Amino acid sequence: MNIAGMGIVFSRGRGVAALEQALQQGWVAPSEVEVRGLTNRLSVYAVSSETLADKTVLAKARRADRFVRMSVLAASDAVQDSGLSGKLDKKRLGVIIATALGPHVTTFNFLDGIIDFGDAAVSPTAFSHSVHNAAASYVAMTLDVRGPTLTMTHFHFAFHEALLLAGAWLQEKRCDAVLVGAVDELGAVMEYACGQKSRPAKDGRIRPFAFSSSPETVPGEGSVFFLLTGEPAGAAYADVVSGVFEPGASPVSAGLMLPDNFGMSGDESRYRDAVAGVARAASYVPVFGSIMTGSAFHAAAGALVLKRQMCYACPVQDNPHGVNICRETVAGPVDNVVCLRLDCRGHGKTICLKH
Amino acid sequence: MGAVSAAGGDISETLECFAAGRRNLGKVTLFPSSLDYPVFEVHRPLNGPVRYKSRTIQLVLAALDEALAGARLDRNMSGRRVGVCMGTTVASQLNDIDFYQSYRRDGAAPMEPVKSFLKGNLAEVVAAEVQASGPAVTVVNACSSSADAIGAALSWIRGGICDLVIAGGGDELNRIPLCGFGSLSVFSHKPCRPYDRDREGLNLGEGAGVLVLESEESARMRGAMSDVFVAGYGAACDAHHLTAPRPDGSGLEAAVQHSLREAGIQPPEVCFVNAHGTATRDNDKVEGNVLARVFGLDAKVLSTKGYTGHTLGAAGALEAIFTALALREGWIPASAGFENKDDEIPIGAVREKTAVAGQYAVSTSLAFGGNNASLVIGRRT
Amino acid sequence: MSEQAREKELAAIRAKLKELLVSNLNLEGVKPEQIKDDDALFGEGLGLDSLDAVEIVVILQRHFAVEIKDMEKGREIFRSVNTVANYIYDYKEGRK
Repeated sequence: MNIAGMGIVFSRGRGVAALEQALQQGWVAPSEVEVRGLTNRLSVYAVSSETLADKTVLAKARRADRFVRMSVLAASDAVQDSGLSGKLDKKRLGVIIATALGPHVTTFNFLDGIIDFGDAAVSPTAFSHSVHNAAASYVAMTLDVRGPTLTMTHFHFAFHEALLLAGAWLQEKRCDAVLVGAVDELGAVMEYACGQKSRPAKDGRIRPFAFSSSPETVPGEGSVFFLLTGEPAGAAYADVVSGVFEPGASPVSAGLMLPDNFGMSGDESRYRDAVAGVARAASYVPVFGSIMTGSAFHAAAGALVLKRQMCYACPVQDNPHGVNICRETVAGPVDNVVCLRLDCRGHGKTICLKH
Repeated sequence: MGAVSAAGGDISETLECFAAGRRNLGKVTLFPSSLDYPVFEVHRPLNGPVRYKSRTIQLVLAALDEALAGARLDRNMSGRRVGVCMGTTVASQLNDIDFYQSYRRDGAAPMEPVKSFLKGNLAEVVAAEVQASGPAVTVVNACSSSADAIGAALSWIRGGICDLVIAGGGDELNRIPLCGFGSLSVFSHKPCRPYDRDREGLNLGEGAGVLVLESEESARMRGAMSDVFVAGYGAACDAHHLTAPRPDGSGLEAAVQHSLREAGIQPPEVCFVNAHGTATRDNDKVEGNVLARVFGLDAKVLSTKGYTGHTLGAAGALEAIFTALALREGWIPASAGFENKDDEIPIGAVREKTAVAGQYAVSTSLAFGGNNASLVIGRRT
Repeated sequence: MSEQAREKELAAIRAKLKELLVSNLNLEGVKPEQIKDDDALFGEGLGLDSLDAVEIVVILQRHFAVEIKDMEKGREIFRSVNTVANYIYDYKEGRK
């Protein structure tokens, strides 16, 4: 499938230009938040309210929460970025959204209503926004998408499966183009759970190439969308396809390998074997933060690497295992990028991007 | 196929309930609530592995057992190319109110509910249970979730990604959607009356529907060709409103037409429609007008939600199963709750158990959020 | 209750209602004082929709202890700030 356009909303801003600038700049310190129930402040990569301020695009999203707003902006930007805005047949445009945790902030707001006011006096607005598919509904309303819309959830592979289904829809000509996106948000309860279950990074740095058995995290949030077409069109960043990685298989050969370990899935030592011996590797997770649908963000970075033919330097370069990582931003031919995500059992999926 | 709902713990009980026109609804007993809307609960023990605390998972595993038995497949499917595609609403959320209340009150909460939640992705659980190694997707598309899950499964099989897919969905009766839908003023205080002139809203239900979908080639090789099949799927978004359907029904109409085209059939070949038929004023009016436009005023229409309630994530799958069963058995039940035709809906539902003879039928779903799904089910003669 | 006292209470209800509408319905860019008492809340006026209507039911429950059991009747009551305020006043006075 062809990536015709990209949109992104994350802690460093909105849009492909913001992504490029962030990859060139490298690591910046996260912000810190007080989280009720945690002794220390938690470092997070949060999307700012300025980033989400856009009365034009969000004209139909008056009641929408941050989860929806991030999605709508990223989706809308992907269409704009493609330059295909006026040419898309909206009846043959589909939307697939992947999320791990859904709009949990609004879910808990809704529970506040039950606890404070009782079962019979809860907010219907909060309820109708507390479902995972609210984002797809708003994306469709904002962009007038009349094709199929589908939201899927999985803690590791939601975005990979979204790409797989988009490919099937394009191949069977159910759609001419598909907006495929990922979105996950921060929130107090989730931050508390992170603080309890994982190891917050004290210096604000995620160290992917440490491949630690108890890695450190900096929770992040945001949304990424690709506008995908069957044939090359629009800004044509790269071809993309999702695939399966089997444990014990020989290391993936790739122009650039991006392991998706992000600090929240326990023991990362199994990534070490998959990455050892690869010609070149990088990880931009320390720029985005730990996001469960983070594979999408890595895929966006990979698409930009291919479009610009530029390997951006790793933002955090701790490398005790001697992997061939990008230490400096270097222009030069890059033919393909592979993002690799492993789950707790060592099963894996890949997102393969080709120039 | 496997089906668990208030209408029955398996397919044969469900058919018996349909034939008798029995409506098993009552007050909420599964959890304390100040709300007294009638609901359709599953009143039977669920005997899945105790490690799964989620009632939704228990319902789904019960239906899975029946479906695998019907497909003559072992629980261990590791040698085959199997995908899993399941729809749900409740199982996707960390909505444990005790956990949250503890956190709110004390700034601390036990992590057990979080751990259960992170291990409880519905499709992942089903895939682990049958050792499926293909794609595993949990669809969260509100009321059309499991219809869309079946549609995605169809795409996987046609695309050669899988030979078999366990597709369907489940949702337990849960306090959160009960409160939520209550706040949207969509409930009836009485047994629901789909398509009826005096309908007042829906009743919530719970259940699970699981289908084992298989490519023709794989079925032939196994000598397990089924008499019923999914012939086509169409889906289209209204792009109109978060909770109300597009008044002109154009999204549903597009979905239905697409599913018919995919099945390669014309409307007169459809012998009945299992409608979404929630019994809300809006849904039935919009849907009924579309069905009349597409299938004509003589079309046989029913809603089985009069027997199961609105089972949310399970609805699409359960109703696809009921549609397949009706084609196989040659009859549809009375559309429970329908007595008087509404002048604003050109079509009425069937008032009694009705013989049907034909090869194809359609099942429709209209979801909150605006997605519309249509499945064409076929029967081989 | 004297006419003056009645009007004073109604004015207070209208003011509180407008604040709640702006905050609970997230009416960005609208100040409470900009909402005219007789402007249509739905359709052409403030442009509220069916989801706002059920949200207003909850606003009335939580902040005025007023129950609306029948959404069909709700349509007439929710025509404008004036009609809602009058309904709240009458409800509290036990006239409804």
